[in-house]
Amino acid sequence: MNDAIVKKAVVDADHLPIWDDPREAIYRKVTIDLDKCDGCKLCVVVCPANILELFGPKDNLKARLKTDFTGCMSCNNCYAVCAGQGIFATEPYDFAGYYEQKRISEFAFPRNF
Amino acid sequence: MSDVLELEDLEDLECELEAADAKAGRTARRRTAIHDIEPGAAWNDVEHAILTRRSIRKFKGRQVPAHMIRRILEMGRFAPSQGNCQPWSFVVVRDKAMIAEMEQYCVAVCKNMTASVDYTNYPPGSEQRAAIMENTQKLNRASPNSFHPVPMTAIKSIANGRFAVFHKAPTVILILVEERGVGVPEVDIGVTGTNIVLAAQSLGLGTCWVGFSRLLSSNAALLEKLGVAPPFEIAEAICVGYPIGNPTQQTVSRQTHQIVWWEGGEKQILY
Repeated sequence: MNDAIVKKAVVDADHLPIWDDPREAIYRKVTIDLDKCDGCKLCVVVCPANILELFGPKDNLKARLKTDFTGCMSCNNCYAVCAGQGIFATEPYDFAGYYEQKRISEFAFPRNF
Repeated sequence: MSDVLELEDLEDLECELEAADAKAGRTARRRTAIHDIEPGAAWNDVEHAILTRRSIRKFKGRQVPAHMIRRILEMGRFAPSQGNCQPWSFVVVRDKAMIAEMEQYCVAVCKNMTASVDYTNYPPGSEQRAAIMENTQKLNRASPNSFHPVPMTAIKSIANGRFAVFHKAPTVILILVEERGVGVPEVDIGVTGTNIVLAAQSLGLGTCWVGFSRLLSSNAALLEKLGVAPPFEIAEAICVGYPIGNPTQQTVSRQTHQIVWWEGGEKQILY
């Protein structure tokens, strides 16, 4: 927890990011626990990047990531509305083709100091 | 006798303030003694509002009562500002037709922008892609924050009709910045807006900052309707409404950031 996540930009400093190159604009995947998902669709509705969808039979719908997704900001709005706490983001997006991530570390819930 | 107040005198003053609170029947919540908050103490109401606030982008159709909007704007009025210059002014839009007009204009701008900057509409290796990418990279060098991949993704979604600029909110508050403010007036806009957003959160309202509201600045007719004129310009907007679902039921996790901590002649790095 006390160490910064150190990542190097994959390209030169004067390079500009290629937005649709997954090596340069890395969007993290949200983790979905299907056992906890009751298919209520709230996460699909609130996702600002519109990257979630429901799948499966009508009586047992579950959430999943769209196959071709970009734009997850790891905002965790999906987690906030999920009554079953079955979906969450744990890593920030990383524009390795743009700049290095600096002075950040792992995700943490609010800490009572 | 010195005319500078000593620390002991100030502590006496605080006692008097507490007495004034008692007389007026107020709770002196923030005037705690130094050791009143134990390590690990539960969140108080303000901290709770901060931690459960989310950016809400899906609202119920129900309009927010006018007095609630006046109430949260009142909190914005009491925000700190550089030199107490209070470089803000508000435009409240609660008219569906007007919000639709604003939305329509922003969508049109985004459509134009995607046509001229979004090379991802064309497959790698194509001529159009190469031509647009050259243009985009120039713009990116001139304005790296605006042409960051996140807003570019949002612009694309707006142009495709998958994302509403003002989130179909029943009330939109435009925050105007007084360009002649002290120091960096845009910072003060952030501070007053934060007051508004947290007050709204504490009242059960959902809010979302909308930076794309600045796109309205290129539409003279709309600016006139909205009463935006120099030295004021649109700095930000805050959408307000009742959120769908229950986004405040739990706090979320977020990345930690470096803290340089200097104390007792030693420097520590904390996260």
